[in-house]
Amino acid sequence: MTFLTPLFLVGLGAIAIPVLVHLIQREKKRVVQFPSLMFVRRIPYQSVRRRRIRHWFLLLLRTAAIALIVLAFARPFVNRSAATAVAAQGARDIVILLDQSASMGYGDHFEKAKDAARKIVRGMAADDRATLVLFAKNAEENMRATSDRARLEGAIDAAKVTSGATRYGPALKLADSILSRSPMKRREAVLVSDFQKSGWSGSEDAKFPEGMSLATVSVASPDTANLAVPSLTFGRTHFASQERVVVTAGLTNKGDAPMKDVPVSLTVDGHELETVKATVPPRTSTSVSFQAFTLAGPNVQGFVTAGSDPMPADNTFHFVLTPSEPVSILVVDNGNPDSSLYLSKALSIGTAPTFQVDVMPAARVASGSFDKRAVVVLNDTMFPPAAAGGVLKRYVERGGGLLVVTGDHTTWPTQEMDLLPGRLGPAVDRTDGLPGSLGYLDYSHQVFELFKAPRSGDFSAAHVFRYRTVDVTEGDRVLARYDDGAVAAAERKVGQGRVVVWTSTLDDSFTDIGVKPVFLPLVHQMVRYLARYEQPASWYTVGQVLDVAQRAKGRTDRIVVTPSGARVAQGGKGLVELSEQGVYELRSVSGGATARPESIAVNIDPVESDLAPLDTRELVAAVTGHANPESAEPAMAEQLTREEIEKRQGLWWYLLLGGVGLLAVETLIANRLSRGERFL
Amino acid sequence: MSSQSIPGARFVDPKILSRIGNLELMARTVVEGFINGLHRAPFFGASIDFAEHRGYVAGDDIRRVDWRLFARTDRFYVKQYEADTNTNLTILMDVSKSMAFASRGIPKLEYGSFVAACLGYLAQRQRDRVGIITFDQDIVTHVPPSAKHFNVVLHTLDRAKPERAGNLPIPLNKMAEHFKRRGIVVLISDFYEEPDAVLDAIKPLKFLGNDLIVFHVLDPAEIDFGYDDASSFEDLESGEQIPVVPQSLAKEYRELVRAHIDALQTKFSEHRIDYTLLNTGEPLDRALFSYLSSRERLMRVR
Repeated sequence: MTFLTPLFLVGLGAIAIPVLVHLIQREKKRVVQFPSLMFVRRIPYQSVRRRRIRHWFLLLLRTAAIALIVLAFARPFVNRSAATAVAAQGARDIVILLDQSASMGYGDHFEKAKDAARKIVRGMAADDRATLVLFAKNAEENMRATSDRARLEGAIDAAKVTSGATRYGPALKLADSILSRSPMKRREAVLVSDFQKSGWSGSEDAKFPEGMSLATVSVASPDTANLAVPSLTFGRTHFASQERVVVTAGLTNKGDAPMKDVPVSLTVDGHELETVKATVPPRTSTSVSFQAFTLAGPNVQGFVTAGSDPMPADNTFHFVLTPSEPVSILVVDNGNPDSSLYLSKALSIGTAPTFQVDVMPAARVASGSFDKRAVVVLNDTMFPPAAAGGVLKRYVERGGGLLVVTGDHTTWPTQEMDLLPGRLGPAVDRTDGLPGSLGYLDYSHQVFELFKAPRSGDFSAAHVFRYRTVDVTEGDRVLARYDDGAVAAAERKVGQGRVVVWTSTLDDSFTDIGVKPVFLPLVHQMVRYLARYEQPASWYTVGQVLDVAQRAKGRTDRIVVTPSGARVAQGGKGLVELSEQGVYELRSVSGGATARPESIAVNIDPVESDLAPLDTRELVAAVTGHANPESAEPAMAEQLTREEIEKRQGLWWYLLLGGVGLLAVETLIANRLSRGERFL
Repeated sequence: MSSQSIPGARFVDPKILSRIGNLELMARTVVEGFINGLHRAPFFGASIDFAEHRGYVAGDDIRRVDWRLFARTDRFYVKQYEADTNTNLTILMDVSKSMAFASRGIPKLEYGSFVAACLGYLAQRQRDRVGIITFDQDIVTHVPPSAKHFNVVLHTLDRAKPERAGNLPIPLNKMAEHFKRRGIVVLISDFYEEPDAVLDAIKPLKFLGNDLIVFHVLDPAEIDFGYDDASSFEDLESGEQIPVVPQSLAKEYRELVRAHIDALQTKFSEHRIDYTLLNTGEPLDRALFSYLSSRERLMRVR
């Protein structure tokens, strides 16, 4: 507290006036002559009492009134810091961004964050208003802008840690949106978080315009010890028509202290199968493998738990396993056993999925041979007679996959031309000169997507000596071309099925690709694509969306039960966001009690385990555009002179009013009291 | 009783009378106007009226023998009249400093002088002897009653100056020794003494058989205490000053004054002394009317 005109404080000496008036009785100058004071003298006279103060309250009122008036003339003002000086410049609109991601479950981080949020609310002026935004991966406006502190504190009290990952971008964008709509001049966002580095990539398009400020409140602990199970791998082996699984758990120590002899246990269907001890050095990862167990049936639930630490959420990793089903493939060839050798060998290798391959000459193919086949491969063969008449077409239209490998034996009836992507032409011989090679691959296609990354497959090493030309028609998609521009692979979608033509053979007659490293994955990818095979996920990550319609497989009586027990009726439609850690279940309403529900394991995002803090200045600088966070504050306060600050605060006005008010009260009270007095 | 209800009251407003300056003229104005205003004057001429017969004793003037009665009864009776002799009217005028007080109108001393002059004039009209004694803490002036002293009385009243503090008992005790002949004694004062002390001082006058008439002269401010501002009140006689908040004191003061007046009235009436309170803010004829009314009542009783 300072004064603009401190000399006026000398006037505080006037406080002595009421005291002197009380204590020093001065005779009135006016004298009234009266015949006799005989009767006046008889009336009890109380002048003696003037020498002592009887009404301390009155004296207090008078001195307080004089003090207030003198202080008002001295023009006091509060010389606060720039930030607090700004606080006196009008109402604020505050957006409190409270992090409720899984990492806030570490120790007492979330309680500290809530305390910080409450402190902000309690520091609000009467006309300030605040919005509470709870955020993890997404941001939600939990409490709309209000000045009601009780409601805000109630909302803060009700906030809980979720299993979501930390993402500052959506929260900051929501704050920007809220503050942009605010009519108030002073707009502030306060981010209360543990400021995980993983929550801010720097590429978020969250930027506050001028006039908005961002403050940060970090609840991060300087030293954190956190052991996490970020992932599991499953080794599947088939033995005696049963599938055995070996679970290998990855362990990550994010702290600076080693974790010694940490118990790591595997629990399957509620039974703890095994517990092993593991030691994890600081800032490193290791893995623990458990003994194999037999996968008895579908939707086997399990989890791996490693030790205990202040953040238990990432110490447990849930999974759901289902025995893998082999992909049934019918290879139709020309009767030459060598023509399908490479193909069948390649398909015999595979665990996820496994392939069940049946090789059959074209002549022996019956109309029922296509039933329950995921993929049919016409491997350098004539068009099977049994497939004519639309049989093969209908198979494809129902969702079947057809791979046509063209060679010298390949024939295609005209009436079935709409099944083949393009018109099949004559063979081209590339034995003269340099052999041909694959010059273009559509890496955006699912078949070749696997080879997109560098050193993920060298197709140029494969030589092509001969190929059949295919003139693709409009609507067909070319997946690969040779170096001369001819089509190497093309696709046509027929009904719900897919047809891919490979214009060279998959043996050693037209090309040597069969002995190249890319052959196996290429064949697997093509078959998987045509069979629409999807690896059943053993777990999902919080935040992913589950397509219930796909899972329901047409059934409309499915409900989703969350790990916390909430039942979400979906009717076989819609999407469900997986927001909780644990095991979701898709249950059938009409199903019997014995029906085992379909289960979906959900784990927190592994990055939540990394509690490495972000430099908040970097975040503020990126969002506000000011390298110095303090300069992001409105610059007005720095430029205000003492006179301007005093004028804005206007405390003298309240002091003067207070002084005059006290005098008025004093007058009223003094009048009432003096009525009963008989002294001067 | 308002001044308008009394005929001729317009002639007796103290303020107007104070402008006359000549006490005789003033007294005549008041008394003549007062008498003319009344429809009848039953109180005068009684002295020549027949009162009673008594038996003749040796030495009686044979001219007063009622011969008609002697003819009927063959006995000598003498006719006796009420006012067969002139009486002495002595005015005792308090001229202490407290009598100089005047809040708005005329001072109490001047008002008392008017009353004294009027009474003197009345007495002089019926050939009574008029005298005056002025006093404060002692006798100041002594004019013995005489048929020729009316003008001296008026002159004495005119010259009277309040200069000293008053003390009723001392001068009255002295006066009591001088009254050798019965008469009418009119005491005009503000009586700033205890009622018992006042009575004790007056009693000696009464013991001599005098008719005692007391006029208690007070200013309206002394009765109402109509002051507003807190001030230092100075005693006119002692010079003592006391700070006073009138609003706080007025009620109690009025009660004390009223009690004082009531006490005086009670004690005087117990001793058959005529008491009349005169307010200097009221017309002069009120004093005369009040006085003469009381005199008439007493005569009838007697």
